[in-house]
Amino acid sequence: MQYVIIGSSAAGINAIEAIRTKDKTSKIIIISDEKNPLYSRCLISYLLAGTIDGKKIWYKPDSFFKDNKVEALLGIKAEKINIKKKEIAIGNKEKIKFDKLLIATGASPKLEDIPGIDKKGVFPLRTIEHTTEIQSMLDKVKSVAVLGGGLIGLRAAYALKNRGKNVSVFVKSGSILSQIIDKDAAGIMQKRIEERGIKIFTGVAAKEITGAKSVDGVALDNGSKHDCELVIIGKGVSPNVEIAKDAGIKTSWGILANERLRTGVEDIFTAGDVSETNDIALEESSINAIWPAACEQGRIAGLNMTGENETYEGSLAMNSIEFFGLPVISVGITKPKSDRYKEIVKKDAGKNIYKKIVLKDGIIVGVIFVNSIENIGIIGTLIKNKADVTSIKDIMLEDYFDYGKIAPLIKKSKRGFKEPEFKETIMTL
Amino acid sequence: MKKIYCNIKKCLGCGSCEIACAIEHSKSRELNKSIAESPLPVKRRKAEFVEESVSISTGCHHCENAACVTACMSGAMYKDKKTALTQHDKDRCVGCWMCIMTCPFGAVTRLREEKIVLKCDLCPDRDKPACVEACQTKSLFLGTLKEFTKICST
Repeated sequence: MQYVIIGSSAAGINAIEAIRTKDKTSKIIIISDEKNPLYSRCLISYLLAGTIDGKKIWYKPDSFFKDNKVEALLGIKAEKINIKKKEIAIGNKEKIKFDKLLIATGASPKLEDIPGIDKKGVFPLRTIEHTTEIQSMLDKVKSVAVLGGGLIGLRAAYALKNRGKNVSVFVKSGSILSQIIDKDAAGIMQKRIEERGIKIFTGVAAKEITGAKSVDGVALDNGSKHDCELVIIGKGVSPNVEIAKDAGIKTSWGILANERLRTGVEDIFTAGDVSETNDIALEESSINAIWPAACEQGRIAGLNMTGENETYEGSLAMNSIEFFGLPVISVGITKPKSDRYKEIVKKDAGKNIYKKIVLKDGIIVGVIFVNSIENIGIIGTLIKNKADVTSIKDIMLEDYFDYGKIAPLIKKSKRGFKEPEFKETIMTL
Repeated sequence: MKKIYCNIKKCLGCGSCEIACAIEHSKSRELNKSIAESPLPVKRRKAEFVEESVSISTGCHHCENAACVTACMSGAMYKDKKTALTQHDKDRCVGCWMCIMTCPFGAVTRLREEKIVLKCDLCPDRDKPACVEACQTKSLFLGTLKEFTKICST
């Protein structure tokens, strides 16, 4: 048996660990276009901010590949998959055979299609190399323009503010973090970020990045110009599907995965930011390009590659962010688009607290908690298990809400809460 | 794997487990001294009402497929390879709150200022965790799920 994994971030690493719990001896080859892939992608903005030391960025020790008896082909791009011959062509024309393949090629930052995008001083923030490159030019930077008010854009903005730069964020849509939270929550977050000196301009987009070789500013679609020496592009990511698509593996937005995380082709699996799976809240096929989903998918795909029969229940959008001491967590559908959904909201403006739960037919499908984030995991569990919460809906946003309050739902539930950890409650209540 | 279980039928919600936990995780490990400590010791276990006159003492369940470990982006939350317990390395923790986002039991405590989390470590310095020893009604039990199931049915 020869396992091959393309991609060595969260999904790839977790797949290796999963395979090794079942198969200690077969050969595993990992192909990664990153030279030093064992870092935590989520932490690169922390590294840029200087809030963690260089050691904490490493998600796994240096010896990880050796410890797991993995042959690591690093800094090498997988070029082509031949699904009939079951082999992969890599950069140096070599061919690698596989019995079981995992495609965990991840996603790439979307770059804007505007003039000047190729100038020196324009960066996305996706890899540890981006961080290193940005850091190496920071001495010469006074002002930064961040294009995009999503998670990455704002994390970059926060990091560079922490490095003493003047930071302005340009957000095309009407509010920040619009993919993750609603306007009310975004308003609270934006106020805190602005109070701490980051400028945010909503409803404005860059139409050109100016400068000779290096950036000297951005021209905006409202006619004004903003001077800066560094531009960060935070416009989200798109899945790296090309290699799969070219091989004839079924793709849509991402690579389509079934509930075993297998692609449309026998013996070829997919996991992480490139894979499209069932979204538990939306109840449709979607990509949730987030760390926890990549890790879980990697683990389950890895197990199934060894012949296990693990089911992937699906993914759920979830994000946790904190800016200047103000945390926000959201899970599932936070901005419902039809009146089939109902919302329960609790606010305490003085304490910057905002809590919202989105319901559909008595079942929670989404949640946002700002500044009072404790117990949000319990709400997340109710979403995952599709529990009817009608009996507790009046207390879910109260401070005293906790696990005890959902115990009766767990006992009553017929289809959810199958994990052994819930047995104690079911048995003794 | 041995861990802590609570028999809801026996639990009075008295909070002895909470106090014992906080003291065990204090500097002095003595009640009268620990209440004067700064920062105050933090409990990792909670006595919660289910409904009137029904309570549960709950904390980290050291889940088999621990959502907090899966979600942890820094590697601070991990599975001990020998014991299968869910452990937390505070030196690796960056305070991203991903564990809080995913814990089904609300069993991870956030320290806002320190930007780290705390959770049940099953009292590594003791034979029996402090909460189990302090439980007045013997509702808390240290053992395997099989053992717990057996004593609940007798």
